Amino acid sequence: MSEHVTLTLRGALDGALEVDGVAGDRFATLSEGEIAALPVWLGARTARLGDFFDITGERSSTIRVVGALARVDGLGAGMSAGELTIDGDAGARVGARMTGGRVDVLGNVGDDAGMAMGGGVLNVRRGAGDRLGAAAPGASKGMTGGEIVVGGSAGTDAGARARRGLVVVGGDAGRDAARATIAGTLVVFGRTGPDPGRASKRGSVIALGGVAPPATYWYACTYQPPHVRLTLTYLRRQYGLSVDGRLIDGRYRRYCGDSGTPGRGEILEWVAS
Amino acid sequence: MNLRGVLIEDTFAEAFNMSAARVVVTAVNARWARAAAQALTGFATSIIACKCEAAIERDLTPAETPDGRPGISALFFAMEPVGLGKRLVERIGHTVLTCPTTSCFDGLPDAVERVTPGRALRVFGDRFQISKVVGGRRYWRVPVMEGEFLVQESFGVLKNGVGGGNFLILAEDEASALAAAEAAVAAISGVPGVILPFPGGVARSGSKIGARGYASLIASTNDAYCPTLRASTDSALPDGVNSVLELVLDGVDADAIRRAMRAGIDAACLPGVRAITAGNYGGNLGKHKFHLHAIMNGTS
Repeated sequence: MSEHVTLTLRGALDGALEVDGVAGDRFATLSEGEIAALPVWLGARTARLGDFFDITGERSSTIRVVGALARVDGLGAGMSAGELTIDGDAGARVGARMTGGRVDVLGNVGDDAGMAMGGGVLNVRRGAGDRLGAAAPGASKGMTGGEIVVGGSAGTDAGARARRGLVVVGGDAGRDAARATIAGTLVVFGRTGPDPGRASKRGSVIALGGVAPPATYWYACTYQPPHVRLTLTYLRRQYGLSVDGRLIDGRYRRYCGDSGTPGRGEILEWVAS
Repeated sequence: MNLRGVLIEDTFAEAFNMSAARVVVTAVNARWARAAAQALTGFATSIIACKCEAAIERDLTPAETPDGRPGISALFFAMEPVGLGKRLVERIGHTVLTCPTTSCFDGLPDAVERVTPGRALRVFGDRFQISKVVGGRRYWRVPVMEGEFLVQESFGVLKNGVGGGNFLILAEDEASALAAAEAAVAAISGVPGVILPFPGGVARSGSKIGARGYASLIASTNDAYCPTLRASTDSALPDGVNSVLELVLDGVDADAIRRAMRAGIDAACLPGVRAITAGNYGGNLGKHKFHLHAIMNGTS
């Protein structure tokens, strides 16, 4: 048993490399040889993880992945325990379907990060692509738990169809953020893109950097939501996010919608004083 | 044993296992947090008639509370977890929920045993309530006329809490007894995990089990320690003692009681105090025996 397992990508990739099983819970029981034998797919070609990565360590739930990983997809997918650190950018579906453990990405992630996540923590130092924490294609619900914190901006459909869970975007969020959410919370520190919360049933969008609520959301009041204070305080303490005290102490316009559905969703827009 | 001229009697306080919970109340400022906490812990001096024992444990700084506001922690004690949960529902629902600007959180997040007063209180929202999970803990947002009341769903329960730690201050007069009791309360107030549920932390009406004249009473005046009855009953008071006050302590565990009793007894040994003793039932009822000499020697 090693203190940790390190995967080092040997060189640049010609295309997207799909990995499977690079997860703390899986590695906790695998020898170095078994890790090297995990299947990967380069396009239509099936290969072994060891064909692309140098592997040191075995039987540890702590993993570090190093190299030019922007075209490596599926890192941390399905993880249920342990710690995975990606030392730079990563490809698509990072932490997808995770149910536990913690994935830290020191760079950007591609599309579908945290897709259908059920638990655990996905912490991305920089930005994310489309469908952050959203649903798998054709699925009725996306996140059912866990926390995703992205330091930079996110693409379209962030938090779409969430059932539970917390998605935090440090920068801007693209169009259709929190679309069709069943519940859950999306916090956007930057500008929230067009049509947030469209078709949502009960989800919350906390817009700290400006938002244009859809016409199908109705203004209710301007107040100090205690759960926003709690959430922002938690993010400051747990993730070390730099949260302006004016956001924590501030007042928020509450818009209720979406009117085409039960209408118990909300957009909370911070009011600069 | 003699401590600064005060006799420490060779006896023990007898105490019982109780279920304990810690409630954290926050508010826009310390004034409103205290207003809620005082109401929350009111009329909770003795489980005999109050169904629970409770008091403010200490003030909390914004850095110590979940939402970064001033707060107060209060400890609650009842005989078993289910009853404790009911008391929390009643009390939080009628004191914290009603108090402007407050939120209510669990102060024992690591406790395995849980009760769910927040889940019961959510229905005050009449289906307009909203659940939020932050950091793996569920909270309920209950709409109220002021805005929203935020309450945590579940609260931790410690089944090895201890209720009924005590010591009695036997003094020459009322003023000396009160000064000693106040000094003891001040000393104990800094001990974490302990409360003094009686008014100001002090009880003047210690009780014995049952009554000699009324069969239906479960407790009546502790006549052996009443100075006015020295000539009328089998008095336990030494000569020169004309006033007695008692401190009753509840703690999250036996060690907390020991630390608090040590600090309190030491502080109570002031001029005018003749002796310190403790109340017990012969040692047959309670699981815990806090021997005064062992506590003051540091051997317990």
